[in-house]
Amino acid sequence: MLFRRKEREEIELPMAPLIDCVFLMLIFFMVATIMRVNPPFPVDLPRAQMKEEFPRKRYNVYIGANGEIAIDDMLVGTLDDLDRFFAQKAQLIRTLIIRADKMAKHGDVIDVMERAKMRGIESIAIGVKEEAEY
Amino acid sequence: MRRGETRMRGSRKTSSPRINMAPLIDCVFLLLIFFMVSTTFAPMPGIRVKLPPPGRPSTTKPKGLVLQIADPEPGNPYGVMILNGQVVDMPTLFDRFMNAPQTAKNMLIIQAGRKVLHQQIVEVIDLAKRAGIDKIGFAVVARTP
Repeated sequence: MLFRRKEREEIELPMAPLIDCVFLMLIFFMVATIMRVNPPFPVDLPRAQMKEEFPRKRYNVYIGANGEIAIDDMLVGTLDDLDRFFAQKAQLIRTLIIRADKMAKHGDVIDVMERAKMRGIESIAIGVKEEAEY
Repeated sequence: MRRGETRMRGSRKTSSPRINMAPLIDCVFLLLIFFMVSTTFAPMPGIRVKLPPPGRPSTTKPKGLVLQIADPEPGNPYGVMILNGQVVDMPTLFDRFMNAPQTAKNMLIIQAGRKVLHQQIVEVIDLAKRAGIDKIGFAVVARTP
């Protein structure tokens, strides 16, 4: 009898702190996640040995071999559109990373740099190939 | 009668409906794992560059090294490069950067034609950085009339 009574006694694990913890982690990862976006055209980045590391952020400018411009996966038609974009989002961009194809023209890259500079983006970097992409 | 009623109420209270938490937690865990896997903390490699401040172009002669790159000729992807008045090519450029006087080595200004390939610019910047030139700037080419 005594044994039976013991068995019936339920030991409940407190689930609430666990769930709190999991929710916290969930929210952290949701905020920290930046989806890997690909530009709408292929971009073959040039290689370099000396490079700095920049945190992966949103709003990277891609330049294709034929002078196409895209912000993340959004194609930008003209330089005026790009200028408008920089005017809106300049506050949010700490370092603008311009990821241009190696066959892109220097003039197109300079055009993007100039627009960014005019809208107050001080820090500009040229994106180079990642080791994993070799 | 009354006694019976109260008893019934009491029994109903003890068997209060419980919300089944298990599916919710399953769902949350699934989301958590999805976001953990899709999060990339890998940094993006890049080269920092400097541009002259916008506005009035400076008329004074720059102190550092100036590398001019001409638009590439048809058949050759690389344009002709001129460093401080002397024609240089890619293999000798690194030595030129290394042998440059210390005062000139604080900054390199690249003045390149619009049709020069981005690849060549990045190669030049890479060589300059390896030679210890930290500041790299681009001169905006004055449009030919």
